[in-house]
Amino acid sequence: MGHYDTTSLFLLAAILAPLIAGVILLFGGRFHINTLRAIGAFGFGWPLIIGLMLYSLFEPSLVGDYNFEMRMPTGLESIGIYLHLGLNGISMPLFLLAGTVGFAAGLYAMYSNAERLHLYLALLLFMLGGLMGTFASVDIFFFYFFHEFALIPTFIMIGIWGGAGRRSAAIEMTIYLTLGALLSLLGLIALYVQSGVDSFSLLELRQYLLAQPLSETVQNNIFALLLFGFGILVSLFPFHSWAPKGYAVAPSGAAMLHAGVLKKFGLYGLLQISAPLLPAGAAHWFPWIVGLALCNILFIGLVTMAQKDLKMMLGYSSVMHMGYAFLGIATFSIVGVGGALLMMVAHGLSVALLFMLSTCIYHRSQTFDLSKMGGLATKAPVLAAFFVAATMASIGLPGFGNFWGEFTIFAALAEVEKTRWIVAPAAIGIIISAIYGLRAVANIFFGQPKEEFEAQLNGGTIEDLKGFEKLPAGILIAALVIVGIFPRILSDDANRELAEIYPTVDTLPHHEVSAIPSKETHKEVSH
Amino acid sequence: MNDLLAEFLRGYTANNQWAIIMPEIMLAVLALGLLGAEMVLPKKSHGLIPRLALWGQLFVLVVAMTAGSYIGFESKSYFSGMIYQTDITQFMRGFFLVCSILVCYLGHIYLSKQQLPKTEFYHLVIIISAAMMLLVQSSNFVMLFVALETVTVAFYVLVAYCRSSSLSLEAGLKYLVMGALSSSILLFGIVLLYGVAGNPELAFNSQDALNFDELRNFIALNSDNLLVRVGALLVIAGICFKIGAVPFQIWVPDVYQGSPTPVTAYLAVASKAAGFIVLLQLVTGPFMGLQGLLVPVLSFVAAATILFGNFAAVTQRNVKRLMGLSGIAHAGYILVGVIAAMRGVAWAPYAVIFYLVTYLLASFAVFGVMTHLAGSDDANQELDDYENLARKRPFLGGILACGLGSLAGIPPLGGFIGKLFLFVAAFQAELFGLLGISVLGVVISIYYYFGWVRECYFGNASDEVIHDVKAPFNMSDRVLLGALVVGTVIIGIVPAALPIIP
Amino acid sequence: MTVGLNAFLLVSGLLFAIGLLGVILRKNTLVIYMSLELMLNAVNLALVAFSRYNGTMDGNLFVFFIITVAAAEVALGLAIIVALFRRRQSVMVDQLNALSR
Repeated sequence: MGHYDTTSLFLLAAILAPLIAGVILLFGGRFHINTLRAIGAFGFGWPLIIGLMLYSLFEPSLVGDYNFEMRMPTGLESIGIYLHLGLNGISMPLFLLAGTVGFAAGLYAMYSNAERLHLYLALLLFMLGGLMGTFASVDIFFFYFFHEFALIPTFIMIGIWGGAGRRSAAIEMTIYLTLGALLSLLGLIALYVQSGVDSFSLLELRQYLLAQPLSETVQNNIFALLLFGFGILVSLFPFHSWAPKGYAVAPSGAAMLHAGVLKKFGLYGLLQISAPLLPAGAAHWFPWIVGLALCNILFIGLVTMAQKDLKMMLGYSSVMHMGYAFLGIATFSIVGVGGALLMMVAHGLSVALLFMLSTCIYHRSQTFDLSKMGGLATKAPVLAAFFVAATMASIGLPGFGNFWGEFTIFAALAEVEKTRWIVAPAAIGIIISAIYGLRAVANIFFGQPKEEFEAQLNGGTIEDLKGFEKLPAGILIAALVIVGIFPRILSDDANRELAEIYPTVDTLPHHEVSAIPSKETHKEVSH
Repeated sequence: MNDLLAEFLRGYTANNQWAIIMPEIMLAVLALGLLGAEMVLPKKSHGLIPRLALWGQLFVLVVAMTAGSYIGFESKSYFSGMIYQTDITQFMRGFFLVCSILVCYLGHIYLSKQQLPKTEFYHLVIIISAAMMLLVQSSNFVMLFVALETVTVAFYVLVAYCRSSSLSLEAGLKYLVMGALSSSILLFGIVLLYGVAGNPELAFNSQDALNFDELRNFIALNSDNLLVRVGALLVIAGICFKIGAVPFQIWVPDVYQGSPTPVTAYLAVASKAAGFIVLLQLVTGPFMGLQGLLVPVLSFVAAATILFGNFAAVTQRNVKRLMGLSGIAHAGYILVGVIAAMRGVAWAPYAVIFYLVTYLLASFAVFGVMTHLAGSDDANQELDDYENLARKRPFLGGILACGLGSLAGIPPLGGFIGKLFLFVAAFQAELFGLLGISVLGVVISIYYYFGWVRECYFGNASDEVIHDVKAPFNMSDRVLLGALVVGTVIIGIVPAALPIIP
Repeated sequence: MTVGLNAFLLVSGLLFAIGLLGVILRKNTLVIYMSLELMLNAVNLALVAFSRYNGTMDGNLFVFFIITVAAAEVALGLAIIVALFRRRQSVMVDQLNALSR
């Protein structure tokens, strides 16, 4: 059997615990509700606990290598695939993100009144297990495998528990995301075949490809597969149409985990795999990434402004914010990519919170239509406070994690002559997001309520957030604030890792793109 | 002649070659024994016959698996070149036996709903199983033809087995005409190859021109000969009929729809698998020298097969036709693996076999559910009949979803690993165009597989109907269907559980 | 005058082509059936001719197998056609289209 140590067994446990809990719940149709919750709490809580524990044990000196490594054969050794787990500075923040959002979504789901709750929780747990596995995989095949594993429950959850129009939304989402996933799978296989190292291990691929980069045409082709494959998964313009429709009908748990964490898979793949291994490809596709990302920001931003439905608006806004992450990766500098990583974490927390709160609002107003609400703050001040905070965070107010993400991306863009112009249109995006975010807050919570809604408000049935709603919301807000105030708890390790794995400027074929001397950045961050 | 006979006898006494085909002989005896049992046994104990068939086959399976282990099997030729056993043929014995056991089991459920003679069904299924084993082992065109015709003729009967249904008879007639046509085409190809390879005026001609090895040597040195090329193409065309590849796929939807569901499953899995193994052995054996001709032809066929199967399945509402058309698409993916093998990817044949095994598990899970849900007329199962299945019969709904998921290639189910192996093999063979088309096909297939699952799961809670249980659903049914799904999941997560890839 | 191999092959090829066209073009299942038999016999003719020309017995041997198989096919085919005729009162292919609808 392969090699492992005690801490890596904990890593494996973080993946297996939700899966085992999920399998038990699958057959839990006749369980008492408290039994369901106890099993669920185990499955949802364990990954977060292990994540925090592993974070405290994280050894920063292992830069370029992985912490908590384990490697087990599963029968695919003949084509170089092992169950190879481990965490590095880039995957650690996302691993924690998955644990946190999973725990919050799980808590919220356990107390929801979903029909066939045991199945709902089981699917959510499968999703969580897949997510933990995705970010803990060193082997790029298992990285993909776990992602697909987490994706399938999303479709099923939308299909069964979704809102009106779920059937067409579920099928559109399924087809888009399968296409994206298969394209990226082809890209990963191409990487494996073309490199000729006979291994799917990211470590071995990296060692080999940094020493002997692939020819430029090959890099361009593989990068295209990965860019558009991952791009579809991250709702890169113009492959975004599944996202708002899917999120609009998705049940809260699925929306939180998918928009918050699973969608980050594509970006994570781009910044951990494609960009460092295929620098020439990244340089070749640079104009495309920037152009499409700006479309995400500006075009989708304007579309978001026109939305009247709260959940559609949130869906579009999550598409829009992905544009910033793409810009950060396109800079190909440690600062920019590190910013994209922070942005991914903070956006994951804030969008999950927003989706959860929107469901809370729906339970009180019975509608997602922004024009039919108003004045909710008088009855539900705590809900209003949480929603305002989450909106501020997603706009990028200082004090929340999103600020550091956007700020560092802008800084990286401004640092280089060639990309400086992008700052202006990207900044317009911030204004757009402020407009629609604040307008939504005003429409829902303040002002004069619409006539029908006023009757509801005065009916006295509307209560403020209950305990089971406050706790997950509080966890997410707390995480956002912690990342906002101490971004370095995540970015230090990440930047050290990025400095190690991204090729330095002089080895690049097209170095005009990334003119930032990464050595200096390295020093800056680590001191 | 006397010399030959003497030599044969000497070989026979020194080394009893009949032991080599013991499983096939045992199956033939079992099949005849069933007919005998029907005559001998009193009418009220005829219920024993299906049990005898099942347990008998299980026994043969044990014998076949213990007789020669699959791993590290040494390839060897027997019966003066008639039979050539390899690790692949050894494995396929088990494959066909598992298929025929499952078909007998499903047939038992099917026949309990019909007023039909029962014993002959098991008899024919077992005969087909034995013949398919010989088919994949044959290394001489006479042997190949006889084994192939035994399979095909027995299938004519099975397809038209439901004599009271004009749909089944119509399917039988269509299969008969198409099968006979394909046999003639195959035969004409064989004749051309025989005539050319044995021609004393050509260089490197052979006295044993129907033998695969001899043909391989001859074709490698005469690959430009027109008759050789035409003959090889005709043989390939005949095989393509059997596996349902475009442009010889027209019979598939009609025949799949009209046949009794267990027979459809048998056709879809075992008959197709046998066709592919034969194709694999032909293109990597006697036709190796014709790579330059066959790779483009088969690539074109594979691309057309994938696209046709998937596009035609999208609009299909009858589930049996849907399985037939999606089966065409699967044949296309497997053809990609065959082409990779032809281009010299040494492990590609094993990737094909792995895919076939995942296809077996998933297909039988789906067909098993179909058999359970079918009424007495099982040719007209529509997608609408599956509405809200998951609410009415959650177990069957779960089995169906897992089976369809594996066919669609979704992790962590076996079908995904099967596709992965094929894709990696295709990459190594540099078949980039075919890969693109395969991915397109997989994405389209998601639409109709998912649409089926959608019917089962995503119905509205309000329109719930009380379901009439059409067949008694006992523990062994659950165990069998559950085992298929568990097997699919296990080889999806730990492919080492199925040690096929060397 | 001796008749050469090519003449046999020509006849065989013609028979095969006629049979193939018959299968494709004719509407009566019985005629289709006869055409299929014609194709098999074309193969037999070619086999015997090649066998004689090549001086090996394999071809002649093969013919016996083909005749046997063809007999089995005919027996089955006629049984199915008769059974179908009883149900539908027709043996024309364009009326045998209950499937595919």
